[in-house]
Amino acid sequence: MTTRPPDREGARTTLQKLLSRFHFGITLFAVALSGITILLAGITTLRSYADHNIELAARLGAYGAEPALVFNDPQAAREGLEPLMRLPGIARLRLLDDRGHPLYQWTSPRGDPAPLLTRLFFPHPFAATVQRNGSVIGRIEVWGDSSTLIDYVRIGALAGLGCLLITALGTIILARRFEYELVKPLGEIATVAHDVRLHRRFDKRVQSLGIVELDRLGGDINALLDELQGWQGTMESENALLAHRASHDMLTAMPNRAAFDEQLRQRIQTAQAKERRFALLFIDADNFKAANDNHGHAAGDAVLVALSERIKDTLRKGDFAARIGGDEFIVIIDPLDGAIDPRELADRIRAGASQPVALPGGQHYRLGISVGAAVYPDDGADARTLLTAADAAMYADKLVKRPT
Amino acid sequence: MAVQAASQTIVENSAEGITSGVNRILGGIISYARWPAAASPAPRDMCLVGAPRLTGRIAPIVPGGQAVTVRRTTAAGAISGGCDIIFLGHMPVADRQRLIGWVRGRPVLTITDDDPNCSFGAMFCLNGGPSKISFSVNLDAIGRGPLRIDPRVLKIGSDDGGAR
Repeated sequence: MTTRPPDREGARTTLQKLLSRFHFGITLFAVALSGITILLAGITTLRSYADHNIELAARLGAYGAEPALVFNDPQAAREGLEPLMRLPGIARLRLLDDRGHPLYQWTSPRGDPAPLLTRLFFPHPFAATVQRNGSVIGRIEVWGDSSTLIDYVRIGALAGLGCLLITALGTIILARRFEYELVKPLGEIATVAHDVRLHRRFDKRVQSLGIVELDRLGGDINALLDELQGWQGTMESENALLAHRASHDMLTAMPNRAAFDEQLRQRIQTAQAKERRFALLFIDADNFKAANDNHGHAAGDAVLVALSERIKDTLRKGDFAARIGGDEFIVIIDPLDGAIDPRELADRIRAGASQPVALPGGQHYRLGISVGAAVYPDDGADARTLLTAADAAMYADKLVKRPT
Repeated sequence: MAVQAASQTIVENSAEGITSGVNRILGGIISYARWPAAASPAPRDMCLVGAPRLTGRIAPIVPGGQAVTVRRTTAAGAISGGCDIIFLGHMPVADRQRLIGWVRGRPVLTITDDDPNCSFGAMFCLNGGPSKISFSVNLDAIGRGPLRIDPRVLKIGSDDGGAR
């Protein structure tokens, strides 16, 4: 189970970064699109304004230069055209008389900032005829330059840069907000999943997150956890059942031979450590085979259950009883103090067992048992010796009864 | 007295060139003058009094082809009426004074070519040079009469007469 921080891997990225990149891309696209659109629309509009401006300038020039043409006077032409020379965006002026000879020419002392743009936008001069009382007396030609356009483009580029800055800022803020709104709930889900996996906290649940998709995910995780919790419970109870079955006898629900061996080992250890005594009673039903044969297996089972119940009834707290074979039972009487005589206990059990047992068929059966006792450490210090001693004592008891 | 040395028309340096230059200037001045509505309608009558100094053939060329009739007359003849324009050539001082005095307050355009300083009271004064003809404007004379002159003509030369 290797746990590695998720953001150490180069190829992966956080959701916030992803969102941030996404936002920036979209916003940049939108800003660029609108910016270019506005810029193009602006240039088109400005160009038409510039055309208009030059046309108006030509008209104004035609009006102002009219007397100069009438009197054929270059000086007057200069004076008449002077207002035009102060206008921005006019590169060159030319006044022609009725024969097409230039009367006056002027070129702006301000250099053209972008000759290429000028050629592109103002390839031809704007010309206006000068008329006097209906007859053409001359012509004025006006060339525009791109200075106003350049200004506009410069301002547009600056504004675009500003927009880009605002975009970047907005994207960061938006991504932060997204992190709060989206990444935090996801983190909560991850925390729950992590807790469940690491600490087996199947009772943990994802809280409502306020986002439909995430709530659906959380609901699914919760349902999964419900199932896991159910499985866990079932498994635990089944494990307990299996463990019980492994150590207990099915018929009488008493501990079986394996459980007894373990119990005896522990009791010996304890008694050894604390220097205590305990007794072992070996109980065997007399003629059980005959009862089985005569009355059937169901009756035999009923007799065994009855016997086990009676044995249990005689037990004190701390004592232990087990069924170690077909009709063989063992009782550990622990601790064994001076007040208790194993023989007396054996007699008590014998007396309890001798009460008639009601068989399934309605008959009654009187069971006889043989009991042998062994005492630790008097009769043996280990399990085998103790068992052998108890077994021998039980046999002796059985032999005593045989003749009768 | 506000007198302005005004326009300088470039002409070919020949008798023919000067004549056409003079007539062109005359036509230009006439075309920029506005007679009151009550005055007699076009064509305008030009009365030539005295001897013109610049050219003997006075026939104004008005842009747009507006016709101007020219007739020679005396000072007395001009005063007796029928003149929209009086061209004052070389003449006795008394005659000139009479004419200028009579014109005052009347819708009559006065032009002379015999007054280089433009100080005798004519509205426009022509001046001949080696290869150019100029005209001056006497704003006081124009201001006294009901005739209206296009300000563009009055403005010509008003800025830098000293440069001439």
